[in-house]
Amino acid sequence: MILIVDDKPENLFSLKTLLQLNLYDVDTAASGEEALKKILKIEYELIILDVQMPGMDGYEVAEIITGYSKSKDIPIIFLSAVNIDKRFITKGYTSGGVDYVTKPFDPDLLLLKIKTFSKLYRQTKELNDIKNNLEQKVEERTAELKQANKNLEASNAELQQYAFIASHDLQEPLRKIITFTRIIEERFLENTPEVKEYLDKIISSSVRMRTLINDLLNYSRISIEPVFVFANLTNLINQALADLEVSILEKKAHFQINNLPVIEVVPEQITQVFQNIISNALKFSKKDIEPVITITGELVQRKSAESKPAVNGNYCRITITDNGIGFDEMYIEKIFSMFQRLHGKAEYKGTGIGLSIAKKIIENHNGIITAKSKENEGSTFIIVLPVKQTAAQAKAPVN
Amino acid sequence: MTKALSFLLVDDDSDDTSLFKEVLEEVNSSIIFNSAEDGQQAIQFLKSRTNELPDVIFLDLNMPKMGGKECLTQIKKDEHLHKIPVIMYTTSSQSKDIEETMQKGAICFITKPTNIKELKNILASIAGSVHNNLEKTLRNLSNTINTFMVC
Repeated sequence: MILIVDDKPENLFSLKTLLQLNLYDVDTAASGEEALKKILKIEYELIILDVQMPGMDGYEVAEIITGYSKSKDIPIIFLSAVNIDKRFITKGYTSGGVDYVTKPFDPDLLLLKIKTFSKLYRQTKELNDIKNNLEQKVEERTAELKQANKNLEASNAELQQYAFIASHDLQEPLRKIITFTRIIEERFLENTPEVKEYLDKIISSSVRMRTLINDLLNYSRISIEPVFVFANLTNLINQALADLEVSILEKKAHFQINNLPVIEVVPEQITQVFQNIISNALKFSKKDIEPVITITGELVQRKSAESKPAVNGNYCRITITDNGIGFDEMYIEKIFSMFQRLHGKAEYKGTGIGLSIAKKIIENHNGIITAKSKENEGSTFIIVLPVKQTAAQAKAPVN
Repeated sequence: MTKALSFLLVDDDSDDTSLFKEVLEEVNSSIIFNSAEDGQQAIQFLKSRTNELPDVIFLDLNMPKMGGKECLTQIKKDEHLHKIPVIMYTTSSQSKDIEETMQKGAICFITKPTNIKELKNILASIAGSVHNNLEKTLRNLSNTINTFMVC
């Protein structure tokens, strides 16, 4: 609907007829005041405003229309017989008009202008509607996401608690199975080796179960808020070696460790990583060949196993090489997954969780871990860790 | 005649208590054995026996009503009881528990062995050195046996 405002009825009539002939809905007002009353009630797509009117002139009306939020975007075309000076035309634009047409006007051109401005107005309205709609949808989605996140956090905390309690409560009866089975063996079965054999199987399964529960417990504990401090990697390695003392002596293993840098880590966790990898190196050593394990560290440019060394690099690459039985690289994904083993239980003991714990810890440190190997030709484990943990990284939760 | 030794075990688990009693009898049948099911019972027992206090107290951690840590605190606060050596005897092997109890005054932290031979070994060593460098004996023992012990 278009509104024509003019105090002269003959102008209103002629313009109205022109527009109606071109299939527009038209409304009229004989004064600024009447126009304003109508604008409050009806939504127009365009207003044609005569400038010279008694009472309020066109400029005043325009200023009021553009000041009112519901009508501020409605295009206003000024019509004027006089006042064709530049400053009047300027005034027309500055009071909110989009066009200033002087009489006599060309009806064809006026119609074209009306068509264009109407279209523009409709498009602007559509855009605004879409915008509001989008904003609302984004708000809804954000609220949904926030809630989902809250739920996940709660569920996570519950699961960790569950893992902790389950493992604790499971350990208790297990301990008794082991203890009393051993008592039966010692006290009553000294002379019946076959029965003893069966009982041994019960005991070894129970011991294995206990180890599994312990490993699961350790794995579930890793994600708890990490506390990073600067630590000397060489010291952490030595600690891991101390924990593996018995095994090292047994296998007569030799170590070559070159000076590793100081980086920001959770010390107990990184010691655990070293322990797990070195323990594997000892376990999977070649029969009758003394294990030789080399550990080196250097600063590198990027977080990648192949990155070039850089004196002031932001990452530290740690390489642990052994001369053991190695593995086929096609199993690389498998060795880092939980409970996946490449050898039977009888050949090599272990639960198969050591490397997946190492991987989880390294990921918790925003680093990467990978390995290279060939069957019978030893293995190399490569870890790349950031030298410094930024505040954002330190807080980022890792599943 | 030397007075017979007396041990007190504070543990809510009846299986572990019977086992302990049995093994202790095998080690030395003259040692007097008493048990309590929780910290509260233990304190009550000790307070009623000021003339016949045990020579060693074996204390479990997780018990109803009053647990091991609280009981240990109470024992060490009491003027008559604080001199009795307390050995933590529990299923836990958590460093948090070890630190806290050693700080509160336990002389040793032993994780319950699953191997009867080892339990016998431990009790025999303790029985033999109650009044003769108990702590040192326990420390040496911890280096030779598989059972987890911290002194």
